[in-house]
Amino acid sequence: MTDAQLVAQAQNGDLPAFEELVKKYQREIYGLACRMVSDPEEAKDLAQQAFMQAFIHIRSFRQDAQFRTWLFRIAINQCYNFLKNRKKFGDPVNCDEVVLVGEGDSPEEELVTQDERRRVYAALEKLPPKQQAVLTLKVEQGLSYQEISEVLGGTPGAARVNYCQALKTLKKNMKSEEEDEVAMRTSPAVATRVPRG
Amino acid sequence: MKWQCALLQRWLPEYPEGDLPAFWKGRLKAHLDRCPACRAEQAALREVVEAIASAPKGDPGPEFWTDFSREMHLKLVRAAQAGQMAPARSVWWGRIPYLVGAPALAALLLWVAVGYLNPERPGLTPPPQVAKSAAPAVTAPPAAIAKQESATPARKLAAAPQAPAELGESQNFVNVARNSGDEAFPEEDLDDLDSTLAGMTTQEREAFLKKLSQHEKDGSCLTRYSAISSA
Ligand SMILES: [Zn+2]
Repeated sequence: MTDAQLVAQAQNGDLPAFEELVKKYQREIYGLACRMVSDPEEAKDLAQQAFMQAFIHIRSFRQDAQFRTWLFRIAINQCYNFLKNRKKFGDPVNCDEVVLVGEGDSPEEELVTQDERRRVYAALEKLPPKQQAVLTLKVEQGLSYQEISEVLGGTPGAARVNYCQALKTLKKNMKSEEEDEVAMRTSPAVATRVPRG
Repeated sequence: MKWQCALLQRWLPEYPEGDLPAFWKGRLKAHLDRCPACRAEQAALREVVEAIASAPKGDPGPEFWTDFSREMHLKLVRAAQAGQMAPARSVWWGRIPYLVGAPALAALLLWVAVGYLNPERPGLTPPPQVAKSAAPAVTAPPAAIAKQESATPARKLAAAPQAPAELGESQNFVNVARNSGDEAFPEEDLDDLDSTLAGMTTQEREAFLKKLSQHEKDGSCLTRYSAISSA
């Protein structure tokens, strides 16, 4: 069944139809939330909250839009609000909590790739939320600039500029992560004084 | 960095196979052939994209999703039972400002322009939808509204408009409505008067025409009405 059909049924109060939509998009929404807040438990809560918001407001959804981008928009707003509050109350983030699934490499290789991945996650985490969102939507969810602009607002051109900016910032963050790691390996005493947040 | 590099690098993430207009693709190709700095930047950006793409999304496993679905189901059932689903936002009402606004604004501009360029033209009144949407502040008195409700739809639309100062003679119509106190008569375009009269009962028509001739005696109305009222 298509999204449009499921949405139409859900708008008439058909719960199983909406649960079908949840099943279809739960991985994407959860993955997006994971990227945005770097905390699997919170990401699960936020994903569920996003689906609840979508359910409550499903009758306001107009079929001329894409359900998927509408859902992304709701989820990203949930994440923004969460991040705003976390910033306000200073909740620390532990990016090691992000579950990393091995791909059958040897233990040594696994260690190296784990290091690389950790560097990517740490660098991603330091991006402003909007840049995080645009990177995730483009690279991981494969959205076009048109779709990104529907999710985040603004024009497709602005989404492209934002994406380019996000890549450049991420590149810089990754480089500084690498330098921090080198500093830590060569001189643990210095490393303890290097701020990593 | 040269300005040209800065300009072209904004398209770099899409080169060569991405969402890129042919014009920029051509310029980028030519530029990359002779600019080592931009080539290095392109390689670096590609590396970053690959790093994100290859960083696996943590798959929490089947147990997680079983729990997720169960929790979701409970929450949804609770919300549905509590009647938390918001009603549909009426698309029609939500769009009215846009639907009415644009043509009304266009009509208003045209009206002002024509009135301004040709102030001698008699009987220049705003179209009904302008009267309604452009002047929500000036509302007809309750008695007038009640009277209008019982009349034709054309009359309902003709609430008293607030005319801009440069409207010349058409201001008379507004003044009539203002001066006649709680019994303002409709200010339709004169061409529309026949249809207005046609939609009235005999009694209404008599009262309306009496009103018109009264205004004529006061000198507050155009003489053009008298021909109709005596007919
Ligand atoms: Zn260059």
